[in-house]
Amino acid sequence: MTYQSNRGLRGLLAAAALAAAATMPLKAQAEETYNLALLSDFSGPYADIMPILAGGREAVFTWWNETRGKELGVTLNYKNYETRYDAAQVASLWPGIKSELDPIAVVGLGGPDVAALSERLPEDKIPMFMATAAYGFAWQPDAWIFNPRPTYSHESVGFLNWMREQRGGDEPLKVAILASEASPAYVDMAKGLELYAEEHPEEIDLVEVIYTEVQPTDLTGQMRRVVRAGAEALVIQTNTSIVVAAKRGLQANGANIPIMMSSHNGLPASGGALGGLEQMEGDFEAYGMAIAADEDTPARQFYETLVADYGLEAPWNVVTAMGVSQGLYTVIVIDHAIEANGAEGLTGEKVREALFARTITTEETHGFLPSLTFTPEAPFPLEGLKVNVGTVKDGKITIEATGVDVPHVEKW
Amino acid sequence: MVYFINDIITGALIGLLYSLVAMGFVVIYRASKVFNFAQGELVIIGGFIVWFTTMQAGLSLWLSIPLSLVLAGLVGYAIERIFLTKLIGESVFSMVMVTVGLLILLRGLVLLVFGPAVRPFPIIFPLKPLFLGDMLIPMNLLIGGIITIVAAVGLSWFFNRTRSGLRMTAVAEDHVVASSMGISVKGSIAVAWVLGAILSTIGAMIFLSGKSLTFLASDIGFAALPVALFAGLESIGGLILAGVIIGIVQSLTTNYLDPLIGGSLGSVVPYIIMLAILLIRPTGLFGWRTIERV
Repeated sequence: MTYQSNRGLRGLLAAAALAAAATMPLKAQAEETYNLALLSDFSGPYADIMPILAGGREAVFTWWNETRGKELGVTLNYKNYETRYDAAQVASLWPGIKSELDPIAVVGLGGPDVAALSERLPEDKIPMFMATAAYGFAWQPDAWIFNPRPTYSHESVGFLNWMREQRGGDEPLKVAILASEASPAYVDMAKGLELYAEEHPEEIDLVEVIYTEVQPTDLTGQMRRVVRAGAEALVIQTNTSIVVAAKRGLQANGANIPIMMSSHNGLPASGGALGGLEQMEGDFEAYGMAIAADEDTPARQFYETLVADYGLEAPWNVVTAMGVSQGLYTVIVIDHAIEANGAEGLTGEKVREALFARTITTEETHGFLPSLTFTPEAPFPLEGLKVNVGTVKDGKITIEATGVDVPHVEKW
Repeated sequence: MVYFINDIITGALIGLLYSLVAMGFVVIYRASKVFNFAQGELVIIGGFIVWFTTMQAGLSLWLSIPLSLVLAGLVGYAIERIFLTKLIGESVFSMVMVTVGLLILLRGLVLLVFGPAVRPFPIIFPLKPLFLGDMLIPMNLLIGGIITIVAAVGLSWFFNRTRSGLRMTAVAEDHVVASSMGISVKGSIAVAWVLGAILSTIGAMIFLSGKSLTFLASDIGFAALPVALFAGLESIGGLILAGVIIGIVQSLTTNYLDPLIGGSLGSVVPYIIMLAILLIRPTGLFGWRTIERV
């Protein structure tokens, strides 16, 4: 072998080594990382449920990273930001969050996040995914903030129509609402139902609308009005303390009108605050999400997987279900966005486009949510809305009804 | 008509509960000229002490109630010793600002020590209401009303007829002058905080009996504020009348006006009365008018 041919061989080897070296970083670059900003309340009014909710959504991100994320070559990083459920706090934190994380999506918690960021997110082109039901005041087209559930009023209307069907007869269902002016969201919950009752007197006869404080002194007098008006259902979608005070007020009046609650103040929370779930016997919780009952459902099975394999420590309850639901529809939208655009260069805008482009099926969310078809007309799906109904029987939460249709509710 | 009278009675009893909480404001103010912004938080601390001794420690009510009152008094004493003693002789404004800091600190401490969960509060008073014909009176409010009147009479006597009470009034006038007259300013202010904490704990028991306990319950401190200002910040006896008036107006508004307007005017009306009284008579109905000669 001549010197020339040796040089040629060395050159060839060097070229091969260079090519290999050049290829290796390319492979590493294929592992894309995107950030999610999680807005949390560990020290404010929802501090009691926050660790559970956070546990649910974080376990889903871990699950996704280790399954679909690995297949797609994408890792989702996340960071919690303490908002104390305060709009001013959210607004002041947001510029820092944006510059620190450059998130492709925000995972929000409640009304203050909506109030603080509804004007900012369209400018920053970052979508926010909520866990809760939606609000009438945020029912606007071209949203950047999305809810997997319709408004609280949609959910209460769905439940009340189901209750009327269960009761039978043509008469409208006599309903009372107990709300509070402590939060615009609480007022909104009542206003939507009021409007629906006004437009559908053949279905709902709203006999009382009572506003009270978030920790009422005494509701005996107010509950007497409700009883005298012949209410067949009492809707309380505000907080646990109001449910407890209403229950005591009803007991003082010797009445037992079924109370309908939402997810955040539902049967376990209110039962716990009353001293036991058995005190909620015959009351209901209704929302467009899986009921965390003992029954063996696909949602329950997925929860068990998260516990067994992905470090979820939260108990099986409605708050965990909210966190898991929120995590699931967030990662599925991102998944859809990656499938449509590829793993590289994903942006908040592309994630939002993916939300409108494809239906999130109930199979994809393991039955935690009904199939969700978002449109630019509203921040939540407008068609195919369903609610599930849970109740307490023999001291245990059971699923009373699933897939209850929600009728069309006019915007208010 | 029966229901109307019932609403008046219930309103008056709720007003008396506000009076009891407001008594905490007045006792501390009369002894130190300090307006305690953390009064609602003292109610919460008292509530958690009662909850802990009954629900956690499992003591019977006969044991836990007096024990809670003693513990609450100790908390009041500790607050005074840690945060306020060193400010004696300084401007009243400094002390008031300390109470604002206390509000935030106590709320944070409650979250840190007890956590944020909504808890069932023990049933101190019977849940079954008193029935008078068609009228229905909540027992916790009825017994609470009696306790408030007894406390008001007792404290009025203490402040107006006893040497210790008169000393506390002198301290409120001027710390330095009171000291120079041989009055223990520290002792007087400490007694006021102990009394304030005990009254708040009694208020918590009446307010929360059979309901739920969260830090949101501190809002009753704000609900009691109009009563304290309406009565005049120095008048313990005046609190009864002010509380009854505000409670009745609030109850009638809640039960008869709110359904018509579809809102919660009942929650706002005490503050409207408060602003009106501050405009017309800044010292309140029974507050002291200070005559200053230059």
